[in-house]
Amino acid sequence: MKIVSEVLTSIEGIRIFYIIGLLIFVALFIVIFIRTMRMKNSDMEEIKNSILMDGESEEVTTSN
Amino acid sequence: MENQKFYYDNKIVKLFILATLVWGVVGILVGVIAALQLAFPIFNFGLEYTTFGRLRPVHTNAIIFAFVGNAIFAGVYYSMQKLLKTRMFSDALSKFHFWGWQTIIVLAAVTLLAGFTTGKEYAELEWPIDILITLVWVAFGWNMIGTIIVRRVQHIYAAIWWYLATFLGVAILHVVNSFELPISLFKSYSIYAGAQDAVVQWWYGHNAVAFFLTTPFLGLMYYYLPKAANRPIYSYKLSIIHFWSLIFLYMWAGPHHLLYQALPEWAQALGVTFSIMLIAPSWGGMINGLLTLRGAWDRVRDSAALKFLVVGVTAYGMSTFEGPMMSLKTVNQITHFTDWTIAHVHIGGMGWNGGIIFGMLYWLVPKLFKSKLFSEKLANIHFWISTLAILVYAIPLYWAAVTQWLMWREYTPEGFLAYPNFLETLTQIVPMYAVRVVAGVLFLAGFLIMVFNLAKTMAAGSFVNNEASEAPALVPAGSRNPVRETIHRWLERKAVRFSILTFIALSIGGAVEIIPMIFIKSNVPTLDSVTPYTPLELEGRDLYVKEGCYVCHSQMVRPFRWETDRYGEYSKIGEFVYDHPYQWGSRRTGPDLARAGVVGGPMYKNAAWHYNHFMDPQKMNEASIMPNYAWLAVKNIDLSQTPKKIRAMQKLGVPYEEGYDKKAVDDLLAQAQGISDDLKASGIEIDPKKQMVAMIAYMHKLGRDISTGTEVPADTIQTASTEFKEVQLLNNPEDLAAGKQLFQNTCVACHGADGKGIATFPNLTDEEWIHGNTPGAVFHQISEGNVAKGMVPYKTMFTEKQITQLTSYVLITLQDENSK
Ligand code: HEC
Ligand code: HEC
Repeated sequence: MKIVSEVLTSIEGIRIFYIIGLLIFVALFIVIFIRTMRMKNSDMEEIKNSILMDGESEEVTTSN
Repeated sequence: MENQKFYYDNKIVKLFILATLVWGVVGILVGVIAALQLAFPIFNFGLEYTTFGRLRPVHTNAIIFAFVGNAIFAGVYYSMQKLLKTRMFSDALSKFHFWGWQTIIVLAAVTLLAGFTTGKEYAELEWPIDILITLVWVAFGWNMIGTIIVRRVQHIYAAIWWYLATFLGVAILHVVNSFELPISLFKSYSIYAGAQDAVVQWWYGHNAVAFFLTTPFLGLMYYYLPKAANRPIYSYKLSIIHFWSLIFLYMWAGPHHLLYQALPEWAQALGVTFSIMLIAPSWGGMINGLLTLRGAWDRVRDSAALKFLVVGVTAYGMSTFEGPMMSLKTVNQITHFTDWTIAHVHIGGMGWNGGIIFGMLYWLVPKLFKSKLFSEKLANIHFWISTLAILVYAIPLYWAAVTQWLMWREYTPEGFLAYPNFLETLTQIVPMYAVRVVAGVLFLAGFLIMVFNLAKTMAAGSFVNNEASEAPALVPAGSRNPVRETIHRWLERKAVRFSILTFIALSIGGAVEIIPMIFIKSNVPTLDSVTPYTPLELEGRDLYVKEGCYVCHSQMVRPFRWETDRYGEYSKIGEFVYDHPYQWGSRRTGPDLARAGVVGGPMYKNAAWHYNHFMDPQKMNEASIMPNYAWLAVKNIDLSQTPKKIRAMQKLGVPYEEGYDKKAVDDLLAQAQGISDDLKASGIEIDPKKQMVAMIAYMHKLGRDISTGTEVPADTIQTASTEFKEVQLLNNPEDLAAGKQLFQNTCVACHGADGKGIATFPNLTDEEWIHGNTPGAVFHQISEGNVAKGMVPYKTMFTEKQITQLTSYVLITLQDENSK
């Protein structure tokens, strides 16, 4: 089929977008994963719990 | 630090909740009517405004944008204020958002019923409403970002990242997909054509699921689940990782809606890969939600709110596993164009979105009105009814999907399609459609119980529009301290920077897919034989869009033998280059129409057939569930628009000759006269200016350009009767019964169940024969047909034996019955 072969020839140039996309994702993922895993667990606990303490006039922790 | 006093805006939350309840009832009710129409076509009411083609978009838009949309806004406005310890940034923006959104909904309902549509699923609204949506959406985002900036807490909690992603995602999608060229206040053409339009549309359609039905709900989950269970979310780290992965990956997956279709292979491969990868972040969210409840399951047992949230999260897990599976090409073969997709979206819609919304409302309404839920028992009843409804909805439809798919592809030992008549495969599953009505009624009943319960709760409680609170002001954070702060936390503190990064993550996927499709020409190879639509065909096509025929009919033959045998040559990318918008469809409730204009092909029907069919499909075939379109014979084509349409098409690159707009109306009338004359020959009088004529012209254009010129002059078929082969009639009961069965399945569409002929189609029971009543002549008629007159040549569909059985049935049984 002529059409199919035309499409196939056009792929060469385009595959590159596809591969670039996957690479971007993998790179980003690794960075985010490592960064996140190195965060302090106590900080995480603090944030998680903060939303449960929103009583009317209660002290709010703003420290980082 | 000094505490600052401020007031939460509860009123805006209440307004959005009320709107959620009202539109929920409306959306579900319209859904029940649409379900009724598919089981019993009489519920189309014979009115143009209420046919399934127009009602279905009302249902989908009402559920997604009205019911779910208002619920999102209610949830967001409440939780943002609480999380950020501040009132919403601007009351004026909040009000504009609320009233603007309700206006959009009302306009949507009215215009869709009136037939003003772009014909792109989930983006049907015409351009003026699109602009209004943009304005309201910007107000929403502005209000949200403003609120983040004036907040009184340092950290921006996970829920809010999801809200921000929602705002940005929907903004990008809506703008890119809505590029259209207006020709009047109510009509526009998509600037993309054919395959490009399809890619943009499904990039949009898929990500509407992502950024309207998923990200905001993950945000709601991250707030309301911990609140309702009174336990912190399981893992905050998981929430960070799954956030970035999910928003990045989603944007790539759109082409999984177009597998095996006229789309370059690379785009399909991309869609599949990223869809499979999506399982991971989706399940990350589900696991984070469910594990939040570890050790608290006893509380789930006692609280309807928590039960709904759990069902919601579980349904999310199911849908996000099923979705990627449906993106595998082999599975997609079954699920695409069948009811599988419909079942899939309802697990998502009724289970995930419904579950989170109901759970949220049962928790939030008592909280806002400072009272207890009126009846926990009624809430539990609602829970069980709606869970049951989901099962009663989904199971029959999965069954229907598999049944119909198996029938579509079944072959007889002789190598012919076992069910060449599409309608047979539909008749099998219509009972499932009746069951679906029951499911819809159950779901509606549960919903009404909730409305009652919440109304009682509201009446018993006390509500303050502006709830007082206080919190210390936020110390300006300054630059990042590299020792104490990780990048992500620093980013979150900075709302704007965070938004920009999110925007980039979102844009990559769309850009990589869409830009090559539009700008690299070789992706859309043109076919020389494909010509632009004539003005009459164009008018017919616009009617096709207007009536929403695409919700039931596809125009996309996939390259499987069982599709090409049934419909004709498979569809090629180059066929669609003049299609603004594309009309490939996504569900085959009726047969594919891509080859309806291929004379001599299995789908061709002559003008008289189409006329009678549009006037009353049930008269042609009792079991048909297609609505009638009798007003097409009454209403005129709006000729004043035709030149404008031609000019718009020229602007979009359709190669009509210079100045063709001036000749368009004359050409249109000439072509229409031809069709009108043809109909007259069959005894049908119709004025050439009627819409019916344009619709028939369009039907006859479909696939004609790429058909290999099998146009057979009518008279060559009618060779001298001496050439007929000897045919021995089979008069034993088995053969006659077999003949009867074939006749009832296939021939009834034109010759009627009793063989007496419908409308202008020949009576096979009387003494009058056009071509003689010898066995040889009748056999010849059935096997060679007369394509010019509309009799199908059946030699490509039946064996000689079967044709002999048919001949015997016609000449023995039908003649006998009649002479009695
Ligand atoms: C409720 C879904 C539904 C809608 C909406 C609908 N159809 Fe149909 N259509 C069907 C079904 C089911 C059949 C098969 C039974 C029959 O022939 O009536 C069919 C058959 C047809 C056929 C005959 C195909 C063949 O050759 O067997 C044509 C042509 C057709 N429809 C055109 C249209 C057009 C044009 C519109 C819009 C004006 C439309 N349909 C709207 C369901 C629908
Ligand atoms: C799409 C509509 C359509 C369908 C379906 C159809 N026919 Fe016909 N049939 C026609 C038309 C139109 C004619 C008249 C053709 C002509 O004038 O030459 C015709 C003519 C005939 C004739 C010749 C009648 C005569 O007076 O000479 C026979 C026999 C016949 N059909 C049998 C069948 C059988 C058997 C089937 C099913 C396998 C069938 N037809 C299905 C439209 C149809």
